[in-house]
Amino acid sequence: MTHELTAMLLDETLLRLDELASSCTVTREWVIEHVRAGVLLETAGPDPTGWTFTSRDLIRAKQLCSLERQFEANPELAGLVADLFEELDRLRARLRREGLSLE
Amino acid sequence: MEFKDYYQTLGVAREATADEIKKAFRRLARKYHPDVSKEKNAEARMKEVNEAYAVLSDPEKRAAYDQLGANYQAGQDFRPPPNWDAGFEFSGREFGGGGGADFSDFFAELFGRSRAGPGRGESARFNIRGEDRHAKILIALEDAYQGASRVLTLRVPAVDDQGHVTMKEHSLNVRIPKGVQEGQVLRLAGQGSPGIGEGKSGDLYLEIHFEPHPRFRVDGRDVYATLRVAPWEAALGASVKASLPVGAVEVRIPPNSQNGRNLRLKGRGIPAATPGDLYLVLEVVLPKADNPKARELYEAMARELAFDPRGSES
Repeated sequence: MTHELTAMLLDETLLRLDELASSCTVTREWVIEHVRAGVLLETAGPDPTGWTFTSRDLIRAKQLCSLERQFEANPELAGLVADLFEELDRLRARLRREGLSLE
Repeated sequence: MEFKDYYQTLGVAREATADEIKKAFRRLARKYHPDVSKEKNAEARMKEVNEAYAVLSDPEKRAAYDQLGANYQAGQDFRPPPNWDAGFEFSGREFGGGGGADFSDFFAELFGRSRAGPGRGESARFNIRGEDRHAKILIALEDAYQGASRVLTLRVPAVDDQGHVTMKEHSLNVRIPKGVQEGQVLRLAGQGSPGIGEGKSGDLYLEIHFEPHPRFRVDGRDVYATLRVAPWEAALGASVKASLPVGAVEVRIPPNSQNGRNLRLKGRGIPAATPGDLYLVLEVVLPKADNPKARELYEAMARELAFDPRGSES
């Protein structure tokens, strides 16, 4: 067994453009295209090198990538489905808060 | 190692066209999509479907698999014969992208040659950073309050001198910091797939999820619990003990509290720079009127309070 490794909370260190691209196995152009299309990163400045990405952005980028690969969806359609997944997550959290569940 | 029948996994005939395979994959990708599927083991089934499609959608892999698999049945014990893939050339990119590291030993044995890695007999001339890995991890709510240690066992692809990939188990002892929330991601630098040549290892990303808790419910940084109180505690006010995910506090219930009232304990949610709040939702529990004294007390209230809970409805 290895020594204890300390995990860093991604939201404290954030990911840069190249790190997000590498993590999702996409090109940096893919990330830029999706940010410019408005389906990734809520607020983005003009310079991509200044962009930073949170846990939510990473999970969303993986979802978009997977939807596009599996269904050949365009970025806008993948973005719409990812929006619905996030809404579903919010509703599930709301139900959990009330002690209820969908199942 | 068991032989995997990829055609069976996708539910198509061996002579299915590329279009039929794509359609079958999409149908199953929708059926087992982990965000919406209600099927049991949806995530595991999705991995199988992805693996089958990675082979059957690639003409060269499919041709090689067909040549090899014609005499095998699903589940049959299987060892690939030497040089079984002579004449076929694979990119091996599943281990360099698209989550191929999650594929089975069977896949790794057949197609696991490192991306851009050396061919047989060649020496490594490339230095490529290892792939980042992603995994989900379940923790208890208490772990988010206090931090925790977890031993994780991951299957990682290992590349031998010939550039051949095999899956190996790799255990990690991980310290999870306190203050993590559902859906947040932890990063472990250098704990992803090993690099090729002198390339650095990738990183490991762990997506946090909470185990269901019998008493507490979590929404972001905030935590909710039901606090059961007697009618007189709600009506007259009281000081009651309430247990928290870590420790307990004395809570003052304001007089004239109604059922469902939220009592906010500021900063007692999940700890962070801006900690969450903990909400106690009052549930007024009525004593049964199952003895003469209890009935007498209820009757006295009915007689003397002149209370009509439906007064505004009439």
